[in-house]
Order: sequence, then C-alpha cells, then structure tokens
Amino acid sequence: MKEELLTIAESAVKLAEKLGASQAEAYVGQSKSFSIEAENSAIRNAEEKRDAGIGIRTVIGKKIGFAFVTTLAKKDIEEAVTRSVKLAKASIADPDFISLPSCESSYPIVKGLYDTNIAELSSEATADMIIRVIDASKQSLEGYGYAIFAGVQSSSGMNAVVNSLGISFSESRTFILLYSSPVVKETDDQTQSYDFQITRDLSEIDPEHVGRSAAELTLSLLGPKTIEGGDMPVIFAPLGAGTVLGRGFAGAVSAEEVQKGRSYISDALGDSIASENVEIIDDALRAAGLGSRSFDAEGYPSQHTAIVEGGVLKGLLHNSYTANKDQVQNTGNASRPSYSGLPSIAPSNFILSPGRGTLDDLVSEIDRGVLCRNTADTPNMTTGDLSAMLYEGFYIENGELKHPLKNTLVGINMRNLLQRVNMVGGDTKVTLSMISPSFVVETATVTSG
Amino acid sequence: MVLKECTSHISYIQFEGLRLSSKAIFMEDLAQAALDAALDIGVSFADVRIENSTTTIIELNDGITRQSVASRMKGAGIRAFIDGAWAFAQTTDLTATGMRTTAESVAKLALATREKVNERFVIDGPRFEDKVKLKVKKPFDKVSIDEKMQFVKMIDEQARDFDDRIVATRTIYGELTSNLLIANTLGTNVTLENSIPQIISVPTAKEGPNRQRIQQSLSLRSGFEEMETEQAQNIGTKAAELAVNLLSSKTAEGGIYDVVLDPALNGVVMHEAFGHATEADNWPAHSTVLEDKINREVGPEHLSISDDPTLTGMRGSSEYDWEGTRAKKRLLVKNGVLTDLLHSLETSSRLHLEPNGAARAQSFMHVPLPRMSNTFMEPGNWSVEELIRDTKNGILLCSFNYGYTQSAKGQFMFQASHGYMIENGEIGVMVRDVSLAGNILEVLAKIDAIGKDFELEAGVCGKDGQSVPTTTGGPHARIRQMPVGGM
Repeated sequence: MKEELLTIAESAVKLAEKLGASQAEAYVGQSKSFSIEAENSAIRNAEEKRDAGIGIRTVIGKKIGFAFVTTLAKKDIEEAVTRSVKLAKASIADPDFISLPSCESSYPIVKGLYDTNIAELSSEATADMIIRVIDASKQSLEGYGYAIFAGVQSSSGMNAVVNSLGISFSESRTFILLYSSPVVKETDDQTQSYDFQITRDLSEIDPEHVGRSAAELTLSLLGPKTIEGGDMPVIFAPLGAGTVLGRGFAGAVSAEEVQKGRSYISDALGDSIASENVEIIDDALRAAGLGSRSFDAEGYPSQHTAIVEGGVLKGLLHNSYTANKDQVQNTGNASRPSYSGLPSIAPSNFILSPGRGTLDDLVSEIDRGVLCRNTADTPNMTTGDLSAMLYEGFYIENGELKHPLKNTLVGINMRNLLQRVNMVGGDTKVTLSMISPSFVVETATVTSG
Repeated sequence: MVLKECTSHISYIQFEGLRLSSKAIFMEDLAQAALDAALDIGVSFADVRIENSTTTIIELNDGITRQSVASRMKGAGIRAFIDGAWAFAQTTDLTATGMRTTAESVAKLALATREKVNERFVIDGPRFEDKVKLKVKKPFDKVSIDEKMQFVKMIDEQARDFDDRIVATRTIYGELTSNLLIANTLGTNVTLENSIPQIISVPTAKEGPNRQRIQQSLSLRSGFEEMETEQAQNIGTKAAELAVNLLSSKTAEGGIYDVVLDPALNGVVMHEAFGHATEADNWPAHSTVLEDKINREVGPEHLSISDDPTLTGMRGSSEYDWEGTRAKKRLLVKNGVLTDLLHSLETSSRLHLEPNGAARAQSFMHVPLPRMSNTFMEPGNWSVEELIRDTKNGILLCSFNYGYTQSAKGQFMFQASHGYMIENGEIGVMVRDVSLAGNILEVLAKIDAIGKDFELEAGVCGKDGQSVPTTTGGPHARIRQMPVGGM
C-alpha cells in the first residue's frame, strides 16, 4: 500500500513536469475511520469513512498553482494536474518563493505513531467502548435528569509526499478518540460539559474514567451565577490554556503571520515577551504525540523547536517558504488538511512546560478570582486583544471554588497575559490544540452580568 | 418497495425522453443500484447523495498570488436505516459495483447497530421528483482564469491605494459549482445545481504601533455577474476605509450596556443565540433549552425570527435540501411564540411534525443534519435614527468577527468587529473588539425596539465539523442591559 501511494504521487509529479512545471509536489492521503455515536444515552449511528485523494502543487518559475481531487482514479489525477499547471501559469509571480524543499539531512524515527490494535479494532469492540463510557457517566448521574451524548472514533491513515527535488516519503498513523458529554437538567437549570481521551495507543483508553469525569464536570456546572466584575487573577485550566495559548499564541509565532506583520508579537525575536515562568516548545518528535510525525506536510524532516525560554522569544514556526524568505533554518512546521490544501504553518505538539502543583493548589493561592476551565475564544491576532467568554468558569474566593459562572467574560491583551503568568501548575493534559498544565494570570478584567 | 422504486425510475426516464444525456442516466442508475442493494440486505430506508462539484480559490497577499487552488469533489454518500439505527459510508468509486458494495456494507452496519438502539422509529416523508436547473447569467466556466485573476488584483490594489496607512492587503476570490443527485427509498429523486461566488477583502491599517485588520465580504447564489456589481467592485475601498477608521477607535470599557445591534450583527445573534437551538435534532437528544417551548412564548410580541431557504439568490438558498425534501420558509418565532423548527426527515418523523427541508451536509462525505439557511429577524417599526436617539447611554455594535453557542445551556458569545458609543442619543467614539455574552431566553426578552430597515450578509455556519454557506441579517435592534466585554 505504501509503495502504491508513492507510485501514484511520483507519476503525478512526472506528469506535471511534462506539462511545463519547473518543480512539482504531490501529496497523497488515504484514511479509514470508523465511528459510533450515541444520543440520549443510547447508540444511534455508525459511520465508516474511506477517504483517498491527491493534491498537486506545481511551480513555474516563481508562479504556483494547486489542485486536488477526492479520488485516486488516473483520469481524475490527470485533470487535477492539468488544472494545477493552468493555475500556475495564470498566477502572479511571488519574488519571495525560492524553491520547494529538498532533503539534505537524515530523517528522525518517531515512535508510537501506529497501533495495529487501533487499525484493526472491530466494530463490536468499538461499540463496547461507547457502552462502557455511557454506563460510567450514568452511574455518576444517578438521581438527576440527564441525556448523554457520547462517541468513539478510530482512525488509521497514511500519507505520501513526493517532489521534484527527491523528497519521497510516506508514513502511517492511527488514533482513537473517546468522549462523553452529558446534559443535566434541574428544574430551572440545564447544563452540559464533556471529557475525552485522544491517543495513538489503544491500551491508554479508559472509558470508565472518561465517563465518570464527564459526569462530575457537568454536575459541577449546575447553578451558575454572575459576580461583581473587576480586575482579578484568572486561572486557565488545560482546556482554556489550549485555546488561548495553543491557538491564540501558536498562531502569533507562525513565521508567515510575523512576516506579513499580522502577528501581535512581530519584531520580538530575542525579546522578553513573557514572564520567566513561561517555557514553550514545539516538539514533533515526542513519542506517540498527536502532532508527531517524522516529516512535515512538505516532506521536510521533523524537529524539536524552542519557542519561549525563560520568557524570551527564541524561535518561530517555519515551513520551506518562510524559512527561505528569512534565510533561516526550516523548522518543519508545514501543515495541511490532508491532500485538500496548500501547506500553511501549524505547531506539531505545542507544549507549555509544567511547573508544580495541582489545580487545587493553584486555586488555594487566590483570595478572589476566576477559573477559566474552558473557552472557545482566541485573541485578535493583530492587536492581541482577547475577550474570552468563560464557557466553563468558576468563581474563586478565599482559596476555594465557590460556584460556576454565567455570562462572564475575561478581557486582557495577550502581551500582558504572557507577562503576567505568575504560576504554572504540574497538571499537564493533552488537548486537541496543545499539551499544557493550568497556569495563573496575575490580573485581568472580568465582566459579568 | 423495490418495485415502486423501479417504476418511478423508469417513468422518470420516459418523461425526460431524448433530452436526457447519457451521464444523467448513468448517475440515476448508480443511485438506484445502491438503494436496491441496501433494501436487499433488509433495511427499511436508504438514501444516496452523488456529488460532483468544483471550486476555484484565488488569494492575493500584497499583490502577489498566495494561493490559486482548484478542486473537484466527486463521490457518493450512502445511508441506511432500520428501527432507529443509522449507518453511513462514502465512496468515490462511482461504478455500479462500487455503489452496490458500499450500500451492502452500510446496510449490514445498520442491521448490526439496530440491536443496540433504545428508541425505535420509522423514517417517513413525502416523495419528490424534480430536476432543478439554476439559471445564472455568467457561468464560472465562461469567464477565463485570467479575468478572475485581474478582478482579485484590482480589489487588492484598490484597498492598498486607499490610504498610505494600509500596510498589508489580503484578497480572496472563491467560486463553487455543484451538481447533486439525491435519491431515497421513499421514491424521492431530485437533482440540484448550485453556484456561489465570493469576494473577501482583508486589509491591515497601521499607525505607530497600532495595527487594525478588518474583513469585508460579498457572496450570493449566482454566476460571476454578481462580482461585476458596483458593490462587489468597490469592496476593497470599503474594507480599507473601515480599517483606517479603526485606527482611531478605542477599546470599549467592559460593563452592562443598552446595546443596539446593526443588521449584520443582529443576524449573527439570531443565528447563534436562537437559530441553533431550533434545530430539531436537539429534541430527541434533549439538548436544547427550548425543549418545552414549542408553541409557547420565548420573547416579546414584537419579535419574529425566520429562516428562509426560498429567497432568490442568497447563499443559504436551495430548492430542496440534501435529503431531497422541498425547502420551505420556517417562521421560527412568530410574534414572540416558537412556532417552527428546522427539520430533517428523521426529526420530522420522530416528532410527528411536517418536514420543511432543512437537512444540509457539507459534501457527499457528510451526513445531512438540520441546519439554518438564510436566518433573520423580521423588521419592526422604528427608524434607525429614532432608535439611536431613544438610547441614552449605550453602544452600537456593528458586523462580527465570529460567534458561537451551546444550545443545551443556552449560552452564547459573539464578537463585533467594531462599534460606537452612544451618549445622550448620539453616536460617539468608535470602539473595537467588543464581545457580548448571554443566555438565549434572557436575551430575547430584553429586545425592546426593532428597526424597519433590513439587510442580509453572507456567512458560514459550522456544526459537528461541517461547514455550510449561510446568510444572516435583519434590521437594527436594541437589547437592554447586556454584559459587554472589553479590555
């Protein structure tokens, strides 16, 4: 199968060159996923998805075109290559484009990306997992009115990247996602939360823990209140941190955003941009990491990149284009949504290094403040202004969680947020956007009403 | 059942007679092969969507091509159902064998899942046969790629040339052409066409350390002709002017305000704060705060909210939905009372209500879900001037960056792209990055004045990982005493 994908990609590159491309790159993605979903505490549907397609990037001088198709049929690939070359011809030349990447070094070996147990998981075993997660949530919700959403998705896939400059690699990866999301109803109140596990290693899956934890988190959100607003400390728990830093800061250290002057931390390389407590790395080599891979979306070797050390901005995330433009080392952070898009820049495993203590320890240090367990809000990437609704938030008084919050927003500029991190916990959790413990921001503006 | 299917298939071909192209017969036959195979395995309902669509995206950054992308989406999504259990799979193998094999596998999966469901029900609904042609003046394939590139270049230059303080420009042109065939075992057989162009201008203005970026876009259901209107041809200037004005804006102070929403933001509030909670899949799942509110009061008498896919030329419009059900206007709220929901065949069957054609899917790779189309607040009787004059101390919020909601809690959040303080009934300083948070039912009750103006704006709606084009809008409207988040 691996050879087959590489052969398809190689012949697409050859065709593009024959049609006039000076350089070409083909990305072939193939995946199989199986998922089961439950609604109102019972299984409702099953899905089996098989996806395979190809994306072709063609270069004519400094002009670039791209086309993709959702099949691997020869005729469709030929049409896509033709359209890609046609678009390259019609494009406006980009003086900053130098070349597609070539591979001059050896490739790292990243462990734990593929688990046969996930790739070969039976539909019965998958169904059993979702039943266990629902049962665990049910047990913790006894005595309440509830409806549980739950789901499990196992996925295995392979990608291949081939270009005119000798890059020709493929890799297989698997993952499994399990979640429970109960809705709990009281007479005058209704709330919802969730917990989940996502891993490349089937043996890590613990349906009982996910089910119980999801139920407990939901119950803790009953009876939300507003508070008197003002300036006060804010704790970001891992899910909240994942949004604010994993999306809101990782986006700002993308070299493309910085080069375009669209990032709120432009021109800050080497400057102290955060408190000394902040250390952030991007590590594509972490064993079994969700963002791990031995090569990036352009086929360039993966690496470990320091972003913030002791509060100082040490590095940016690059792909071949931005690295060529700045004449610096490519960090291998090219990213694309499988075959259906051009490479952009994204973190691999974006990690805030842990400090000490549990979330409870951090809470106990605060006289009056709020806990942002979860938010979906990211900052304005140009100005850094963040106004985050506490999707799941709690009021803290005298070192204790007092009650959940409603209609409450936290306002702060990201540059201040980074400088005001005065404590980092040791409670690291893997979320979809980053790997982070909880951390405390000394003060931010809280509005509630 | 099988017999009835065959009959309708044959009558369709006879009706169309010689005008039918060989390709159309081909797609019809593929759909039928899948439906027959699923029924043979023993499911009670099955449906098929066969899609063939193309897109082109051209993006310029500072006058240079950032991306030019062409795509073709080609494949089929097949669903099978029995006794409350659904199964879904997709295939890009558009041969009779490929369709039959996938349909058999889906039907078997539904049968296996059947033993594990709790609630049994039957899928029923009306049957539709139609072949809808979309008439556009300038189909995309009749306009050369060079002409499109020139259009994007012109808009990009326009934004840059507006003012010296415009330091970066980003301009994106996109077009979608799609052909969709939908067939099911109730006898529905519908083909649809769609055509959507879009132009987006995103300039950045800079003065000292102050940088402001804003987005303006225009998108309709049409051919390239809608990109040749005065509005579309000047969108770069409009966006650049707003970005430059934002340079002298201030950040708003967080607090409780009387808020006046402009049509664009009002539409997003209606969409996020209310529309999502009326998607009828929330009822069997018990995941909406509106669960006990059908035919009951949810807001003041002067408030009406509609979702209307039958409007001509709007991004969210379609003659039929992705299950092949004829689309109708939905009066979600009429004079303050919740009167209609957004239905798929499943929800109308389970709730024993009239189907209204609100099931949409992002592509053949996705399962149709109840979704909004063109959502708006119906106009009232205040003039915009009166509305502002009547607001002593408040804030006028305009346009939006984004918004989201959680229907089970009724909690929503959205961020305006800019706004103006209102002091003593007069518009004052410009403000930026203002967020609003609230609870659906609390907020609707606080809407006390609705304008008689009306505007619609293009948008994209995401749900369960699926994005679909939508339109949102309405008149200006005032909400009393809302928490507004600032810096």
